Amino acid sequence: MKNLQHKYYESYKDNKLLFPGLDITWLKELREEAIAQFKKDGFPDKSVEEWNNHSYKNLKEKYFTPFSDNKFEINSKLIEKRGSNCVIRVVFYNGTLTNIEYDNLPEGIEVNTLTHFIKHKPSFLKDKISSAYKYAEERLSNIVDSRPQSIVAFNTAFHQEGAVIHIKKNVKVPGFIELLHIGEYSKDTMQHMRSLVYLEEGSECEVLENIINDTANDLVFTSNVTDIYVSKGASLSFNCFIKGGTNNIHINNIHGAVHEDSKFTSTSIMSALGQVRSENRINLLGENASTKIDMLLLGSKDSLLEGLTKVKHSKKNTFSDQKARIILNENSKASFQGKVRVDKGSDGTLANMSSKSLLLSKKARVNSKPELEILADDVRCSHGVTIGNLSLEQMFYLRSRGIPEVEARKLLVSSFGNIIIDDLNKNFIDKAKKIMTDYFND
Amino acid sequence: MSTTLEIKDLYVEVDSKEILKGLSLKIEHGEMAAIMGPNGSGKSTLASVLAGKEGYNIVNGTIKYLGNDLLKMSTEERASSGVFLAFQYPVEIPGVATSTFVRTALNAQRRNRGEDELDAMEFLKLARQKAKELEMSEDFFQRAVNVGFSGGEKKRAEVFQMSMLSPTLAILDETDSGLDIDALKIVAEGVNKLRDNKLSGIVITHYQRLLDYLKPDTIHILADGKIIKTGDKSLALLLEEKGYQGITGAN
Repeated sequence: MKNLQHKYYESYKDNKLLFPGLDITWLKELREEAIAQFKKDGFPDKSVEEWNNHSYKNLKEKYFTPFSDNKFEINSKLIEKRGSNCVIRVVFYNGTLTNIEYDNLPEGIEVNTLTHFIKHKPSFLKDKISSAYKYAEERLSNIVDSRPQSIVAFNTAFHQEGAVIHIKKNVKVPGFIELLHIGEYSKDTMQHMRSLVYLEEGSECEVLENIINDTANDLVFTSNVTDIYVSKGASLSFNCFIKGGTNNIHINNIHGAVHEDSKFTSTSIMSALGQVRSENRINLLGENASTKIDMLLLGSKDSLLEGLTKVKHSKKNTFSDQKARIILNENSKASFQGKVRVDKGSDGTLANMSSKSLLLSKKARVNSKPELEILADDVRCSHGVTIGNLSLEQMFYLRSRGIPEVEARKLLVSSFGNIIIDDLNKNFIDKAKKIMTDYFND
Repeated sequence: MSTTLEIKDLYVEVDSKEILKGLSLKIEHGEMAAIMGPNGSGKSTLASVLAGKEGYNIVNGTIKYLGNDLLKMSTEERASSGVFLAFQYPVEIPGVATSTFVRTALNAQRRNRGEDELDAMEFLKLARQKAKELEMSEDFFQRAVNVGFSGGEKKRAEVFQMSMLSPTLAILDETDSGLDIDALKIVAEGVNKLRDNKLSGIVITHYQRLLDYLKPDTIHILADGKIIKTGDKSLALLLEEKGYQGITGAN
């Protein structure tokens, strides 16, 4: 592994032309701090608590070269038409911008690529593209552990592109903003995207991040890290739908800073045949800040899906609600780790967490681990975990009404997922339902 | 009168324990039969076996439904050919709206019988009419099946489903339990409305009260896995007076 770490370190130095912003002091320092951190920590192994469910063998054994082979040929099959309520859509193909589509962009909404902002407005990005250390794990022993964030450090060093969304004060975005990432990378390559969503005071916005990696035969490694800021009284709904091919390793990280009286909803739906891991780390930084984190993991064949959430209640009267639903078929595996941390003095915290898994085959496996770290006195926290098969009582009830067995199974499985889908904003329900239908049909 | 259901000498085991021990019962077309009996006598087992629930081992006996071998039919085939079980404990199905559930069921049955499916508008029209008859608010169409329903609402929803699916043989497994007098009356009226359409029924109950409204043609006492006494409504009155022990002669 040390060898591999060194190889990536050399690769970073050799491929500097691929990484924008090295002429800007703070960004250069950020990248260099990150590659140094990665050189020290490497990819997390099973001794890191957050990574102890599955070893990402390919990540630790294979070497991936930064993707640089852009042909600008777009496979239109994977790019659907822009939705009617989508005010602006940014389309990336293999990590490169291909199009920004909009009709009449209302005032107060800025959406462009990371490279555009680096070139034209680097000062806006400063202190918003954050260091991996910012979300390092504080252990109860007071040790600060940077290792769980080493993929974020890796992304911070190697990111080539990304999207930036900036919503100005009191602007309420009509419809939604879509970030579409289509990936058809060549073998043994990697691509890392770094995005920023910044909502000023009192603004409101819905975002769909649609990640489709179609890599049936070739092993590729991709990551997205999104820094999110929800200022006082603002409201953001961030919906991340991830579809991945058989040999794709995709690691997604969402870092949310949620301020006073603001609201952040994050929904992730993952349906992949390879390995997908989605981490949501949300800090509630002002009174009455609230967050809702929903995850739906749909596993089949030999897929590995992991969801990790961490909500940190740092101020009084903050609220969080986490819901994970996991449906696994065939040989698929999944894990859910959900953590609620209530800092000292954050009284009046209300935190709920529930994780339910449905195993549809004998070989499917799931690990679910809820964790509460409560350092305040006056809090209400709940957590619940269930793992089971389809209920025989429910099956009998449906069949006794004349619904054939196959249809009854489908109805029950989708109803299990609907708990997440029905909570989506109406702009995204059809898309999410389509992911469910594709999951059944594959 | 032709026969809707004929059970002959039925022996059923659950987990190797014999529950039904030579039960015979005949229900004619349009007949409403009440089955009363002490706890553990096998009433709910009979209901489950008729509906086709798994986990029941039929050791001996035959069940003919409209001349066909009921035991050879799958649960969904039984439903499509008109067998309906109103559950003692209706099952909650989070994430499925009641209207989606009933429409899926109704159309599956229609498909199975070679009839055209109802479209959304036709279905809604029928559902509204039936809900009105049962004095149910239409709000429950969009609520998940039985989730958060009160005991009375659950039973009423069972009768709503029954009236939507218009069965030939309805088995009401303690549909009166958990209902107050007003709800009981509405539920019974709902069932009686269907009787005009020549419904046969098996009403499993512990109480005389439901029978006051449903006015069954026959009353059967089920004890220790078989029918030990059959009579008319006077049997129920006798039962009320003397209790099961007084009738079965057990000490």
